[in-house]
Amino acid sequence: MKGIVLTEFLELVETKFGLEVVDKIISASKLESEGIYTSVGTYEFSEMLQLLQHLSAHTKISIDALLLVYAEHFFSVIESSYPGLLAIYKDPIEMISSIENHIHVEVRKIYPDAELPTFEVIEKTENSLIMIYKSSRAMHHFGLGLMNKTFEYFNSTAVIDLEKIKEDGTEVKFSITKNK
Amino acid sequence: MNQQLEGILLRALKREKGARKAAEKILEGKSTEFYDLTQKLKKSNFKLEKLIAEKSSELRGVFENIVDAYVVMDLRGNVIKMNEPATSLLGYDNNQENINLFTLVDVSEVEKVKKSYSKLINNGSITNFQVKINTKSNDQKLVHINASIIYDENHKAIAAQGIVRDITEIKNLELQKEKLLLKLGKSNDELQEYAHIVSHDLKSPLSSIYALVSWLKEDNIGKFDKNSLQNFGHIESTLEKMELLISDVLLYSSVSLDESKKLNVDLNIVIEDLKKIIFIPSHIKINVKNKLPVVFGERTKFQQLFQNLIGNAIKFNNKKNGLIEIDVSEKKSFYQFSIKDNGVGIEKKYHDKIFKIFHSLNDHKDSTGIGLSIVKKIIDLYNGNIWIESDYGKGTTFHFTLKK
Repeated sequence: MKGIVLTEFLELVETKFGLEVVDKIISASKLESEGIYTSVGTYEFSEMLQLLQHLSAHTKISIDALLLVYAEHFFSVIESSYPGLLAIYKDPIEMISSIENHIHVEVRKIYPDAELPTFEVIEKTENSLIMIYKSSRAMHHFGLGLMNKTFEYFNSTAVIDLEKIKEDGTEVKFSITKNK
Repeated sequence: MNQQLEGILLRALKREKGARKAAEKILEGKSTEFYDLTQKLKKSNFKLEKLIAEKSSELRGVFENIVDAYVVMDLRGNVIKMNEPATSLLGYDNNQENINLFTLVDVSEVEKVKKSYSKLINNGSITNFQVKINTKSNDQKLVHINASIIYDENHKAIAAQGIVRDITEIKNLELQKEKLLLKLGKSNDELQEYAHIVSHDLKSPLSSIYALVSWLKEDNIGKFDKNSLQNFGHIESTLEKMELLISDVLLYSSVSLDESKKLNVDLNIVIEDLKKIIFIPSHIKINVKNKLPVVFGERTKFQQLFQNLIGNAIKFNNKKNGLIEIDVSEKKSFYQFSIKDNGVGIEKKYHDKIFKIFHSLNDHKDSTGIGLSIVKKIIDLYNGNIWIESDYGKGTTFHFTLKK
């Protein structure tokens, strides 16, 4: 897992719940890194998972809901750090459908060893998109949050349905319909 | 509570410090990586530059040292580059004047060249193209061109290069040769016709003499004594021999190769047929020891060849039981035949002479000395050899080869 995901996560936890909660979830987790993260480093995904689990336990908020909020925060990180990446798109459907062919290519330029999920486009029209998300991390709600923010960024909204193809969430179908 | 907060802050600070150090270490690693990569790139760049320099020098060497004229032109036929031999062949120098392909070629060839040039551009190369050109000093030359297209890195045609060879002389020599051959053929025909006429003209006075002699004999029956009658006999047999001689000369002069009559000839059948034609005395046996091959050529020539050799073997046999053996052995590119007899044999000193015309060693009544000359001539026509082995008094073996 790329360090930026962890550093931004802890940043958000600190903002929302305070440094105390950050300290608590780090202390409660068994971390090889001892909670020392830098955005350019690479860490075990299990560390992210432990932090999420402990945060969920502490706040009584589900992991999926936490991920959704985190993704919305993360979108603003992208927006401020890599504005060029977003500037070339005029339409949310266009942008989301090109995750695999463009955005991930750009990500690899900065983080060559990033382990990225795949988004396979099944069907695409002007106002709708069906994609299959595949990742061993099962972070589909992180994807969902980013998609929500994408529509928001282009001043539009959409209905996004998630359908788990695999029970553990490692394969999920996204059905996106843009609101007119 | 304060103590607890202090602990939290200290731990947070420790993490921040740790993160900074970790980041610094990662970035250090990255910068080392970049440095190494840059070094590698520099090295391979240097290698590439060296390679380009080498290849350019090689090409320049080829360009300058090539013996044939070498010309590079753009796709519209404008000469961009030419080497020393090209300058001396064409008389033009592209460094001093603009030259175009179509000003070089002879007016009569422009259409042909246009076609070939577009073929060159479409197909990428042309070979063996012959065209008349005019040099700067207005000499017409016939040149032979092999050309190909030069492509850029996107496989787009950008220029054409060609090797130009002056074949004016070669072509002239070829034409001369053709003319000579034609002339030779004509004079050969004339010679044959001449031989025909001469022999015909020679034969008619002979028949007159023959007739006159027989009249003389008839008119004077009972008047000539025995001695004179014997001399008349001699005159008659001399006349017969003379006629035979003339016929053989005619035969010899007409031995030439007729390609149209060539076919596969089974020599076994030739020999069988010959046995019926030639008179074979009962005391002479002819044995064919091995199966003879099928050879490609004119049947009548092969017949003449064997007829003469077998005929000689019969003619010059003085033994009580004559034996003629015909044999063959197959070699890589030819067949080697032998015709062996147990006849009179030929003295060593005559071995070379016998194949020359009119060289009869024997005063045999049907021998003109032309037979072996015809044999030699036929074998020459089939790129073969003939030679003899002979034990004087015991027999002769003729060996000859025929190319497969």
